[in-house]
Amino acid sequence: MAELTIDGRKVEVPAGTNVIEAARKLAIDVPYYCYHPALAPVGSCRMCQVEIVDPGKPPRVVIACKTEASQGLNVSTTGKDCVAARAATLEFLLANHPLDCPICDKAGECDLQNFSYLHGHGVGRFTEPKRQLIKHELIGDHILLDQERCILCTRCVRFMGEYAKAPQLVVAGRGDRNVIATFPGELMHSNYEGNLADICPVGALTLKEFRFKSRVWDLDSEESVCTLCDRNCSVTLDTKRNRLLRARPRENAKVNGWFMCDVGRFGLLDHCNPSGREESGFLQGARVAPDRAANALADALLADRGRWLVILSPRLTCEEILLARTVLGPLARALVHVPVAAEGGDAILFTGRRAANARALELLGIEPISAEDLARVAVEAATSGVLSFDSVALATLQGKAKLKRAALVDVWRRAGAADAAAPLGVEFFVPGTLFTEKAGSFVNCDSRLQRAARVQRPPQGILGEAGLLQELARRTGDPHHAGARAGDSMSNGIDPTARVLAALGQEPLTLLQLPAEGLDVAPAAPVARTAEARPA
Amino acid sequence: MANYLSLEFARSGPMLLAEARGKGRWATAERVLKTMKPEQVVDEVKNAGLRGRGGAWFPAGIKWSFMPKEPKGPSYLVINADEGEPGTFKDRQIMEKDPHLLLEGIAIACFAMRAETCFVYVRGEYLSSLVALETAIAECEQAGLLGDDALGTGRRVRVLAHRGAGAYICGEETALLNSLEGRRGEPRAKPPFPAVYGAFGRPTTVNNVETIANVPFILERGVPWFRSMGTQGAPGNILYGVSGAVENPGIYEGPLGMTARAVIDQLAGGVKAGRKMRAFIPGGASTGFLPPGKLDVVMDPDALKKEGTMLGTGGIVVIPEEVELLDALRVLSRFFRHETCGQCAPCREGAAWSDQIVGRFQRGEGSGDDFALLNDIMRGSKSRTICVFPEAFAGPLGSALVHFKGDFEKSIKPASPSAPQGTAVHG
Repeated sequence: MAELTIDGRKVEVPAGTNVIEAARKLAIDVPYYCYHPALAPVGSCRMCQVEIVDPGKPPRVVIACKTEASQGLNVSTTGKDCVAARAATLEFLLANHPLDCPICDKAGECDLQNFSYLHGHGVGRFTEPKRQLIKHELIGDHILLDQERCILCTRCVRFMGEYAKAPQLVVAGRGDRNVIATFPGELMHSNYEGNLADICPVGALTLKEFRFKSRVWDLDSEESVCTLCDRNCSVTLDTKRNRLLRARPRENAKVNGWFMCDVGRFGLLDHCNPSGREESGFLQGARVAPDRAANALADALLADRGRWLVILSPRLTCEEILLARTVLGPLARALVHVPVAAEGGDAILFTGRRAANARALELLGIEPISAEDLARVAVEAATSGVLSFDSVALATLQGKAKLKRAALVDVWRRAGAADAAAPLGVEFFVPGTLFTEKAGSFVNCDSRLQRAARVQRPPQGILGEAGLLQELARRTGDPHHAGARAGDSMSNGIDPTARVLAALGQEPLTLLQLPAEGLDVAPAAPVARTAEARPA
Repeated sequence: MANYLSLEFARSGPMLLAEARGKGRWATAERVLKTMKPEQVVDEVKNAGLRGRGGAWFPAGIKWSFMPKEPKGPSYLVINADEGEPGTFKDRQIMEKDPHLLLEGIAIACFAMRAETCFVYVRGEYLSSLVALETAIAECEQAGLLGDDALGTGRRVRVLAHRGAGAYICGEETALLNSLEGRRGEPRAKPPFPAVYGAFGRPTTVNNVETIANVPFILERGVPWFRSMGTQGAPGNILYGVSGAVENPGIYEGPLGMTARAVIDQLAGGVKAGRKMRAFIPGGASTGFLPPGKLDVVMDPDALKKEGTMLGTGGIVVIPEEVELLDALRVLSRFFRHETCGQCAPCREGAAWSDQIVGRFQRGEGSGDDFALLNDIMRGSKSRTICVFPEAFAGPLGSALVHFKGDFEKSIKPASPSAPQGTAVHG
């Protein structure tokens, strides 16, 4: 450890920590462009200049990103030399910047804007003609490059090499002819491209998918998790008028670091803005209101107690799984889930297992069953019907067995306008909700419990999974679980997360108390057994 | 005082090994490697006060002493033969005419620093230097002077010539190392210094060709001999390059500490007949312009530092009166704009911006506000970047503003009352 002084305040950090991070601990913001905590520092943007003050010597201007904390180091971020140096750097960076903020997607969250206000001059003295370069060119599957806005911090080049392991970006040219480029005639292809738009401190790299969609200050932003694989990357979801316009990674050292993959980032846009979504219920082939379908399904479940096989989905929230266990457990023949295999994952973040909450199903004791066993049990005489919260598992099952009765509670997307039959031909269909339409929590592959906020309203009349379960609770005389307002498993006055945590053997917390980076809910590893087996 | 570095420079091609041995080349290396200890060699070079001829004038022996004494893994010697400074053309003389002098120095330096491999980074345009060097290396390997058993001592000394690709910045030692490794030629942030983390991450010393060429003579003739030439602070001879409007442009060997006037008049035959001198550059483009009134300045690194300039590589350029100073400055500002690597914002933008402003003055479109602006550009970039490139482009610009301010003033565009003021508000 090393104790250093920054602007007269003392802070202790591990020796070797750079001065930017040490200052961050004191909530002192040192501005920077080329530095990024996930990448090796290069020290070229010259924005993080601070002063080292040694008694009896004139202050020395250094770059904070490459200055390591050492015992007794005395740093000033406000000395006149470093303030002048930072202002000079900004004047240089702005000299050739096009200042097209009014049409730039980055405006409002741009570090060139922010630092200009905080550290720059109000007036530019550059009167020469500005550089004219490529303004918008697709350089990958998702990224548009604007070379004029670029300040050549090279974060993108280093990110592609160091993190994405796909060194497909380069600095081409020399001096003031330097530009960011791909190799001639080639585009980037990587599952991590989208992060370039986040790490670009200016508007040089923007997302094709977000281009001109919204000013960022018009977005509603909520903390959530990505549910397109069981990594559950922490994300911030940006919506406008109930549409998800952008998903961004949220820093979480325990889960995803600073980044997320493109499968999640762009998959969420499609997942959360589903086209052709079925918004009505179905009852014996007829289109009905969702609550009527739910009531009829509840009648059927209660009329045939103990004989319905229930398949839970690994995409349900922990709260829904727990509610299903409590309410449906005593009513069903069995509560099962079909484990999902990984497909196409990579060694970085994407696991390829499209089952965001599979670990919660395991931890909450929902029985895993193979597709083959499920097909066998589903047609046994003791089973009168199958209720599935998972359309994928139900479709697979229908391909293997002829079901007596079938019910589906899930989000369903129609293939086209001509497709008007009940989803999967089931007797009962109750439209489900997206994970963004309810607050809840998810447990990732490493047993990390995180919360996901409600960011969208479900379509009118859709009560969702919780609506059906609460209706059942009311009918079975379980007021404890029935009080919830439909469509929001969080607002029933009894915090479901507290119960989820209790069920997982953890100290109860309310959802709002759950730390943003999540909570480790892994059961204690069975080390004791190994120790016993060892001879004394 | 007798010359020693330039004795073979009158030849038309490289001196081959047989002849070179006849002239005593390799005898000193053989004696040193067989009878001395590495520390003794370092001490000799230190005591001789040999300073680096690449332009920084850092004491070579001290630089050598930074290398690990008990290396765990390979250490490297890298010879900087990139020689890109405009007005500088001395190292190519050594490589093209007397390559065995350089190789002998390399063998001694490798021994002193416990390096088994030396890379010679040859400027891309210097094809004949490269050919001469590669021929000489092949001769030495054949003769057992270099290779796995150099000079029969059982030590390995391998020399590899590497050709650059035409970038001035690759003469900066860490950019050179990046280029040598196959990366972009961009200087590295220091620390770590090359002696700790150099070529391929290993301890490395980078020395200039002329510096190493002095080494065999120091060990052959001794410290007092070397110190009998030059100045107290900078002993030895130097290869002065004189170009521009002089009678006999070329490379001239002479002791450090001559006046610029003596170098121009006594060695290069004086200013070309019928011409008058407008300005001179004392030591390569980055050292800037001095007026003829400064001709009695002493060619010594410390003396020129006091004049606000540098000795640099000792390449004197004489600018005659028919060349406008702003035109000469523009040539250099354009050069530096073209050659900055561009990684650090102040240098990339500062070199380009100041070149644009100088261009305006050149066209007679300067403004009175530009003086403050040019000074702010230099202040905002000097000592504010990874390497000293801003000091290089500020050399000619800053000296021109000090010594030739009148040239700028007469190029200010008269203000027209209706013209808008030259400022733009951000946003």
